[in-house]
Amino acid sequence: MEQPLIEVKHLKKFFDTPKGTLHAVDDVTFSIGRGKTMGVVGESGCGKSTLGRTLIHLYESTEGQILFEGEDITHVSKKKLHELREKMQIIFQDPFASLNPRMTVEETIREPLELSGKFKKGALMDETERIMDLVGIDERLRHSYPHELDGGRRQRVGIGRALALNPSFVVCDEPVSALDVSIQAQVLNLLQDLQEKSGVAYMFVTHDLSVVKHISDHICVMYLGQLVETTTSKELFAHPMHPYTKALLSAIPSIDIHNRKKRIILEGEIVSPVEPKPGCRFAARCPYATQKCHEPQQLREISPEHFVSCCRVEDINS
Amino acid sequence: MAENKQVPFLEVKDLVVHYTSEGKEIHAVNHVSLTVKKGKTLGLVGETGAGKTTIAKSILRILPEPPAHVDHGEILLDGKDLLKLPNTEMQKIRGKRISMIFQDPMTALNPVMRVGEQIAEGIALHEKVSKKEAEEKAKEMLEMVGIPGSRCRDYPHQFSGGMKQRVVIAMALACSPDLLLADESTTALDVTIQAQVLDIIKELQQRLNTAMIMITHDLGIIAEVCDEVAVIYAGEVIESGSLEEIFDHPTHPYTIGLFGSLPDINSDVERLSPIAGMPPDPSNLPQGCAFSPRCPHATEACRKAKVALQNLGGTHYCRCIKAGKED
Repeated sequence: MEQPLIEVKHLKKFFDTPKGTLHAVDDVTFSIGRGKTMGVVGESGCGKSTLGRTLIHLYESTEGQILFEGEDITHVSKKKLHELREKMQIIFQDPFASLNPRMTVEETIREPLELSGKFKKGALMDETERIMDLVGIDERLRHSYPHELDGGRRQRVGIGRALALNPSFVVCDEPVSALDVSIQAQVLNLLQDLQEKSGVAYMFVTHDLSVVKHISDHICVMYLGQLVETTTSKELFAHPMHPYTKALLSAIPSIDIHNRKKRIILEGEIVSPVEPKPGCRFAARCPYATQKCHEPQQLREISPEHFVSCCRVEDINS
Repeated sequence: MAENKQVPFLEVKDLVVHYTSEGKEIHAVNHVSLTVKKGKTLGLVGETGAGKTTIAKSILRILPEPPAHVDHGEILLDGKDLLKLPNTEMQKIRGKRISMIFQDPMTALNPVMRVGEQIAEGIALHEKVSKKEAEEKAKEMLEMVGIPGSRCRDYPHQFSGGMKQRVVIAMALACSPDLLLADESTTALDVTIQAQVLDIIKELQQRLNTAMIMITHDLGIIAEVCDEVAVIYAGEVIESGSLEEIFDHPTHPYTIGLFGSLPDINSDVERLSPIAGMPPDPSNLPQGCAFSPRCPHATEACRKAKVALQNLGGTHYCRCIKAGKED
């Protein structure tokens, strides 16, 4: 089997809060292949953004291992991190907050090229222009500031900045959530085009299930820091097995007005991830929960490539 | 009279609203006409800046004037023009006959007031009840939206996002309004919580026979909740009709574009077909059809003159000169 681009083993990221330890990412294991897209879905506070940020060392992991191109990068020196940044990048949700308001479009895209030291002065200009063209930003906007651009164009600048040095891995953290549908579709298509051209792998973090289904090869479903189910995109939507995944998929408002699905309405609210009890964190809202669910759960391969963390998965899906 | 099918319960006629900002005139709502029937839900769908919220605020007369100004139009509630009512009369209608659920529950709630009091405030104002009775009613309302009545002495920050939104719903429904304006009321919520809240709204609406205007950019929510749909673009209704008419036979190129932009959970497409370009600048609208600069089928005629709404049979209307002439 081909070596995956990035491998995550039993990754944990805890934060200390005044109320106790917050288990933002708790024992997550998965891998992403070269040029592939891994979608990570879950509701607010499930740790999906923290996971993405920990992978690219915006946060230091608490426990576990991260392998990038076969190399252990869990703990790296500053110098090594600088090198890694060329290969691993991130696109943020809010392009307004993530772009420097005092830098023009051109300066924002040129900065990573300059820092890499790979380009001479003339080549720098050409390369900047090439990237602006690649992400579809008009030549005339090169001296514009972020506040002069609309949301879609701002996000294009964010994408251009992230992809400037041709990274092999990019975390896309809700990159289209702040955009209107018609603009959202433009940006999604752009991300797909760029992947086809450059072979970049994405980790696509979003709460929007239709978007994740559209763009991903594989999907991880997270609930309160735990990975509850992971498989290929097709399989997940065809045969969701974890009770949370089932509820999540049934809750999406569908535009199909003739085939109404029956919705699974979950009772209760998401519990706090601070000092959580052992066992399945979804148990409090799960219609199938039994005593056994309060013991620690294992991620098990139920069918080929389909991993589920639920002790009752066989009973529920038979 | 309201029960009579011939007379719509709420009628917006030829509404025109503009804002003045930095000396520029921003044309937010341009000759919009809408009707809502008793107990039915009208969905207003469109992108940011299309004028959806301005329409809702005009109905409730809570537009900030200035910079906003209603230039023209009538808003008839049971045949009475709300725009002509004196302020004191309008106060009796707000919260009693018409109420609104806002997008962000954190800004809609008073952070230093107990939620029970906030709900009771409206009840005490509109119903002839004692303070104690109003508080009892407030507790009942909380229970109705699935929050234990004992929590009425809590402050907004003690609730999660979904619960806060349910408090806002309880407040909006406290006086059993005839018309509910829901402005992106579930947009800020997670999908499983959104499903809970939509269910509560739908159930209460049926029980109280409330008419509703649902404002959203999410076609999925429209499909789940609404009976009728109006698609808004650049302050105009560009297509309207029953849910089936719009979802089975979207006709305006913009409506078709919206559907094409949407990744559908039930089907697989390799590439989305987005609408090219951006919505027009509302201070500088195109002369002809507002969508013509982005429209793949636009001709010279589209760019020259405004297009009137055309009937396509039934209650289906579309603002496009090509509507009904092809396929």
